Amino acid sequence: MNKLILIVIVSFFSTLAFAQAEPQMADVMRSNGKIYDVVAVCLTILVGLFLYVFIIDRKISKIEKNK
Amino acid sequence: MNKKVIALLFKDVLLEFRQKHSFYGILLYIASTVFVLYLSMPDTPESSVWNSLFWVIQLFVCVNAVAKSFLQESKGRMLYFYSIASPIQFIAAKLIFNVLLMLIMSLISLGLFYTFLGSPVVDFQLFIGITILGGTGISLVFSLMSAIAAKAQQNAALIAILGFPVILPQLLILIKLSKSAFGEVFRDGAVLQLAGLNILMDLLVIVLSVILFPYLWKD
Amino acid sequence: MNKIWWKILSFILLVYTIVCGFLLEVPRLDILNETIRNLYFHVCMWFGMMILFIISFIYSVKYLRGFNYRNDIFARHFAAVGCLFGILGYLTGIIWVKVTWVTDQGQSLGSVLKEPKLIGAAIALLIYGAYFVLRGSFTDIDKRARISAVYNIFAFAMLFPSIWIIPRLVGSLHPGAPGSDSGNPALDKNDMDSTMRMVFYPAVIGWTLLGVWIATLKIRLSIISEKNIFEIKKMN
Repeated sequence: MNKLILIVIVSFFSTLAFAQAEPQMADVMRSNGKIYDVVAVCLTILVGLFLYVFIIDRKISKIEKNK
Repeated sequence: MNKKVIALLFKDVLLEFRQKHSFYGILLYIASTVFVLYLSMPDTPESSVWNSLFWVIQLFVCVNAVAKSFLQESKGRMLYFYSIASPIQFIAAKLIFNVLLMLIMSLISLGLFYTFLGSPVVDFQLFIGITILGGTGISLVFSLMSAIAAKAQQNAALIAILGFPVILPQLLILIKLSKSAFGEVFRDGAVLQLAGLNILMDLLVIVLSVILFPYLWKD
Repeated sequence: MNKIWWKILSFILLVYTIVCGFLLEVPRLDILNETIRNLYFHVCMWFGMMILFIISFIYSVKYLRGFNYRNDIFARHFAAVGCLFGILGYLTGIIWVKVTWVTDQGQSLGSVLKEPKLIGAAIALLIYGAYFVLRGSFTDIDKRARISAVYNIFAFAMLFPSIWIIPRLVGSLHPGAPGSDSGNPALDKNDMDSTMRMVFYPAVIGWTLLGVWIATLKIRLSIISEKNIFEIKKMN
């Protein structure tokens, strides 16, 4: 009986210690889905950037043809 | 081939003897820099401070000593060399001359450092060897930089801008290496390894100079 | 150069980078925590910079082989975009360093700046800064192209040994440096699991292609604006 209690206590502490050693990650953001907002913001910026570069590309192509 | 290199080298040495003022100018530059350091520093600086000051001074001395090697050649004279020698002979002569000049300057400044600032050096022979190695490496790099800067018709400032980032790794090796002469204990073979690395870098610079100089030469 | 497929590829790869880079699982490590995802952005800047500098170097060699003025324009603009990537890498690095090195391990900023990686990057940026100063000091375009190509080749050839040597001379906090456990100074392979690698390598390609795209835009612009020079050259 005593042994069993000891094992339970030891295992409890070991899991506690393990939980403390576990590095903190932004799991909350992932679980409530807010991470998707971050992805959406970054994607919007990326799309905007690429659109801008693409338009410049088109303009230069036009000038090259007129030459 | 070799005769021409020697002839060009001889011409540079002769020129140096004729125009003594530039040689003495650099000597005075070293002397006054060390004197300024002597007055502004505590009597016996720490070995690490001494070390970094020594190598920084080497760098500036080299910029000043080597800078004029291409800047002094007028256009007409370059045209003359162009007609009598190949670019490789020309750069070889210049490299040898600059190395010799820099070695003299390095040893003189080492002597001045020793007399004015004291010396943390334990193994003197080793440190002289390192100084010779360092002077060679620095002068090789700055010879080519001087050739480039001469084409841009610029002053010594451009040489410093072009050369400093390139010389930095070699300088770090040298500073590390000279700590062995201050009695710091190194891993077995590490000193030889670093010295070998430095020599390899020097060889790389020589090879690149020989390959690239012909492109700087023709106008 | 005007083909469209690689531009689309760059776009797709970067969308993939952002989506998977934020959503996939990453290894849980102390101190780094979620910032390990910076690998997909910050480290890619350095990779992109080096690749662009390599391209610039190749065009400088090509210039010296045939003295074609086009190659000089290529070398110049690839170097410029490489510098842009390098500066972005520095800025993002400063942000990342603040949370990982400076606070948690009691490092001062002074000791962080002596990082071998940072020294290597600083040398690269200084070299290309000098390259542009050198370019600025000429008036004759042929001479400018020739001399700056010589400097580009020389400096680049010296840069690579230094990137290899310096980490072995200076102690490092950077993951993967000799002195910490693995031998590769660029990346700590142990910190990257296979999912991270699946995002990281496409990310490098994507960012580099974006850099190449911007560079080609600048190249085409300067070819148009320097049209007169090309016509004169043809007449000769």
